[in-house]
Amino acid sequence: VGLKCHFKKMALSVDEVRRIAALARLRVEPEDAERSAAQLSRIVDYIDQLGHVPAASAPTESGRQPYEREDEARPCLARALFLANAPQALDGLLVVPKVRADGD
Amino acid sequence: VTEPRELSAEEIAEGVRAGRLGALEVTEACLERIAGVEPRVGAFLRVEATAARDRAAEIDRRRARGARLGALAGVPLAIKDNLCLAGAPVTCGSKILSGFVSPYSATAVERLLAADAVIVGATNLDEFAMGSSCENSAFQATRNPWHLGMVPGGSSGGSAAAVAAGGVALALGSDTGGSIRQPAALCGVVGLKPTYGRVSRSGLVAFASSLDQIGPLGRTVRDVALGLEVIAGHDPRDATSERRPVPSYRERLEEGLAGLRVGTLREVEEERLALDSRRRWREAIATLGRLGAEVVEVSIPSLPAAVAVYYVLANCEASANLARFDGVRYGRRVRRPGADLADVYLDSRSSGLGAEVKRRILLGTFALSAGYHEAYYGRARGVVESMRRQFAAAFERVDLLATPTTPAGAFALGEKVDDPLTMYLSDVFTVPANLVGVPAVAVPSGLDDRGLPLSLQLLARPFDEATLLRAARAFEREAGFRTAPGFREAAAA
Repeated sequence: VGLKCHFKKMALSVDEVRRIAALARLRVEPEDAERSAAQLSRIVDYIDQLGHVPAASAPTESGRQPYEREDEARPCLARALFLANAPQALDGLLVVPKVRADGD
Repeated sequence: VTEPRELSAEEIAEGVRAGRLGALEVTEACLERIAGVEPRVGAFLRVEATAARDRAAEIDRRRARGARLGALAGVPLAIKDNLCLAGAPVTCGSKILSGFVSPYSATAVERLLAADAVIVGATNLDEFAMGSSCENSAFQATRNPWHLGMVPGGSSGGSAAAVAAGGVALALGSDTGGSIRQPAALCGVVGLKPTYGRVSRSGLVAFASSLDQIGPLGRTVRDVALGLEVIAGHDPRDATSERRPVPSYRERLEEGLAGLRVGTLREVEEERLALDSRRRWREAIATLGRLGAEVVEVSIPSLPAAVAVYYVLANCEASANLARFDGVRYGRRVRRPGADLADVYLDSRSSGLGAEVKRRILLGTFALSAGYHEAYYGRARGVVESMRRQFAAAFERVDLLATPTTPAGAFALGEKVDDPLTMYLSDVFTVPANLVGVPAVAVPSGLDDRGLPLSLQLLARPFDEATLLRAARAFEREAGFRTAPGFREAAAA
């Protein structure tokens, strides 16, 4: 199946990397964009070769019986313990910045 | 006279239980050793000396009152800093978890404590366990105790270096694609990735949930077997943990290799191995034969695709798992004046996560994005299924599979940081065990031409850690390798 790791094409453009970063809620700094696109492209070129590797049809579960339990309320983390790690809390609630109306 | 810190975990526990050794005495010896080597090695992110002393003294008091102590009585132990310990920080080697304090303990950590182990500190790792060198830690580089200019491997490099340097007898790591076995190999210690489901993942900060597994690193196979006996077993807090009982892995450990069939992979011969690694690998195979194993060649044709498959599946899961680090519920929040929620996500994540973690999140997000999901994630799942069948067929013919753990010994700090793909490719022998869920152990096999450790990897059928460890023990005894790093200075390269 030998996979090669030297490529001529660029799998991802800088614009594509920006689009993916937006989906992942990450910022691509302008000075890193080219380098980032080149590094990611090299990896994507490499994994693109999976298209030529024989594959079986994957079952939805990998042969393991899923563990099932009753759907019932159970004790969980105490509110105070949870909020102890919150960046900001007020009156037993988590404080978050406003959500903009335009959906982003 | 053997120094307390040179004793095996098994010897310490027996000594403390029998009252021949004090837990505090052992802990002091280990803390002293850690203080002596840490400035050079940097294995620990935190050494909790006071907590360790208090705990050891309490164990001694309980022993004095006639209490029956646990299987790890007084054993100084380190845990990778992606395992939760209630009331202590857990950083995952990342700035994004700054200020976080674990509200509960990982099940594996609870079991260590229930067995009367003494946790002395938390070890360094590649950020979120993503890396093979520990250089992706946001806090420090860990150095290889054998040669301070070399990496200890990763991502559990701190745990491997701590054990090799003699600061602790045992450590816990986590292994998603080789993160226990590769650093164990590079530091000349034993590292075990148990079968997926054998050890609860509850309280392990998730990287790739279908591949992650907690396991022990130690100086001897016996200690690793002991560690597994303690941490293995069903846990209702992890739905993927297995219900079948945990055997005593030490009971038949000394029974040798006679009568076992060991398969070597034809594909290993086609991989790029360093010359000294190949020589050591051939010697290791000869050793297995000399010990009475029947060595046969088998084939896993999809092996060369393993790295590509792994970096699709692991990154897809990572991009989903790491979405929770958003500056909202815990950890670092960056909030500029006038910022809304989306800005907080972007600013907190962009400033809190390191370059390699971002790279993997981007790759995973790409592979899962509209139009690409089937071509990458779907395809990778299919190749894994095919690999799973190839392993199942191989394990009908043989009891164990053998490969080198890594294609070469330790590399220099900084050597591969700018070349992620090359770094990834050296995982070729370790990722298959995670992809197909079988147990695998790395055992030191000797030294390379530079005097740095090399390692043999053995793999077994799911939940057959008993046979796996028994074979590893036989090999260890015959190979005669002793973990004795020289702390060679970087300049002496």
